[in-house]
Amino acid sequence: MVRDERLTDEQLHRIDERVRSNWPTGEAIDFEDAIAFHGTLPDHKQFTEVLESADRPLLQPRAGVPRLDDQIKLLEHLRTEGEADLLPTTIDSYTRDNEYEKAQEGLAEARETDEDTLNGFPAVNHGVDGCRELIQAVDAPIEVRHGTPDARLLAAITFAGGFQSFEGGPISYNIPYTKEHDLAETIENWQYVDRLAGAYTERGVTINREPFGPLTGTLVPPCIAIAIMVIEGMLAATQGVRSITLGYGQVGNIVQDVAALHALRSLGEEYLGDEVAVTTVFHEWMGGFPPDEARANGVIGLGGMTAAIAKPDKVITKSPQEFEGVPTKEANAAGLRTTQQLINMVIEQDVQLEGVDRELNLIQKSSRELIEAVLSLGNGDVAQGTLSAFESGALDVPFSPSDSAKGDVLPARDDDGRIRIFEFADLALSGDVKEIHRNRLDSRARTEGREQTFRMVADDVDAISDGMLIGRPAGGQ
Amino acid sequence: MATTVILGVIGSDAHVVGITILERALDTAGFDVVNLGVQTSQAEFVEAAETHDAEAVLVSSLYGHAEQDCRGFHEQIAAADLDVTTYIGGNLSVGQNDFEETRQTFRGMGFDRVFDSEVSPEAAIAALKRDLGMQEPESERATVNS
Repeated sequence: MVRDERLTDEQLHRIDERVRSNWPTGEAIDFEDAIAFHGTLPDHKQFTEVLESADRPLLQPRAGVPRLDDQIKLLEHLRTEGEADLLPTTIDSYTRDNEYEKAQEGLAEARETDEDTLNGFPAVNHGVDGCRELIQAVDAPIEVRHGTPDARLLAAITFAGGFQSFEGGPISYNIPYTKEHDLAETIENWQYVDRLAGAYTERGVTINREPFGPLTGTLVPPCIAIAIMVIEGMLAATQGVRSITLGYGQVGNIVQDVAALHALRSLGEEYLGDEVAVTTVFHEWMGGFPPDEARANGVIGLGGMTAAIAKPDKVITKSPQEFEGVPTKEANAAGLRTTQQLINMVIEQDVQLEGVDRELNLIQKSSRELIEAVLSLGNGDVAQGTLSAFESGALDVPFSPSDSAKGDVLPARDDDGRIRIFEFADLALSGDVKEIHRNRLDSRARTEGREQTFRMVADDVDAISDGMLIGRPAGGQ
Repeated sequence: MATTVILGVIGSDAHVVGITILERALDTAGFDVVNLGVQTSQAEFVEAAETHDAEAVLVSSLYGHAEQDCRGFHEQIAAADLDVTTYIGGNLSVGQNDFEETRQTFRGMGFDRVFDSEVSPEAAIAALKRDLGMQEPESERATVNS
């Protein structure tokens, strides 16, 4: 039975042995050699050094192509033309499914045909040396971004390969991404990843861990996202992780986004304690984008402005070509510059938004209720509490494809576009909180002259890509 | 007794938003809904229809490979000796094909009704109630027609 307890050295080594035998490149992993390699990196390429000492929000795009030389060129382009502060390496889908054989074929084909036959960088296949070549060639810190439920080998290779930041977590890379992965199993897999990050940290190489905040990217109520971030943070901290970046995806209502980012930071600091350095990352809108670059730039601009007011430590940017899928490197750099321009223009203004405190209190109260429900269901054990909370629906994620979550909760926007909960199902929220949500949705229903129905949910899902924030009925109010 | 309908996304498609909303709409309309979720195989649809003695099977597909995914589906239903009404809806083909053509293709495969992704859940449910010969209460009819 998985419990929230630190893996022993013996357990770590045993899993290590098994994990590295999953693919031939695993053999090249040598912990002492890796510690020495990290030590050769200059300060401006040490991830946590750069992230935790910044005095303004740092910008980071998403980017990954199969071949090493192309990945180097792409990242250097984003650094020089997009002025990215932190860089990503996004991993391909086969690697995310642990299909290293298929990734190998894709990589070979990419090398032969000069085409991007994989949708990301197959880091396991490139191996420790390939990763180190990338780290050495690019003049900024780089994070591994993926979506892998079982990321053990990926972590072992990329940490040894010089990466110092690793996205994901047992809930956030399971529930939104797959149908059949067992939650108890992903918690165990991520205990290894976190323990390995902890082992590096204890040797003076701090590995930053970043739970994936946007979850399903579809109208996720802030309290659900924040509760899951704090829980994943607690699980990581148990294993010795000391630098944790908690994430949150833009919902588009400025007051709610600013309040949520403040709540994320304060609850993170409260629950993770003094020994963990907590930072926050704001993801620009993760839902459907307008099929028009000009409008898409508007969505990105609102993200930049929100970031300038809320001041998260990091912003993950989108490109104006989001609608079409993987953007060109030029479009990707454009998304960075649009965001930077907004942040630069707004950050020194003292913008006072009415209602942030009230929204902040509501988000804190609701997030705390969910976190406390998990703790109490597990009798203090976060791992057991998480399993039982997802099983009972006390914790749930809207629009989750996973069999491990109920997926019964439904969100909808209120009259000024804040995400509220339309269907609570078994979510562990108090009557007070539920009443606020119901009242706010009632007032929207009155404005629109219709009942509160699932129709609102459907309209809201498409609203931003249709050029609006709130899915009002056709024909006006 | 409530009428049971099976709902799911066929093939390796993971688009969950549409069926989540449809499940809710069917539930509100008084159906017993068995939602098989995303990435459901033909065999899983057939098995669920058998187990739950369903009257209708509603198939969703949004990633453009519906035709491949549904090949042989109605033969499997016939082989299991099931008498179910079948609907399919979503983005059923890649690219901007003429929807009439798509409809004919899927009607030819045996689906009783074929919907594009713009159809409202209410319209699909109204059609389902007609096809299953269900009596609609007066109050609901007004909503359906609006």
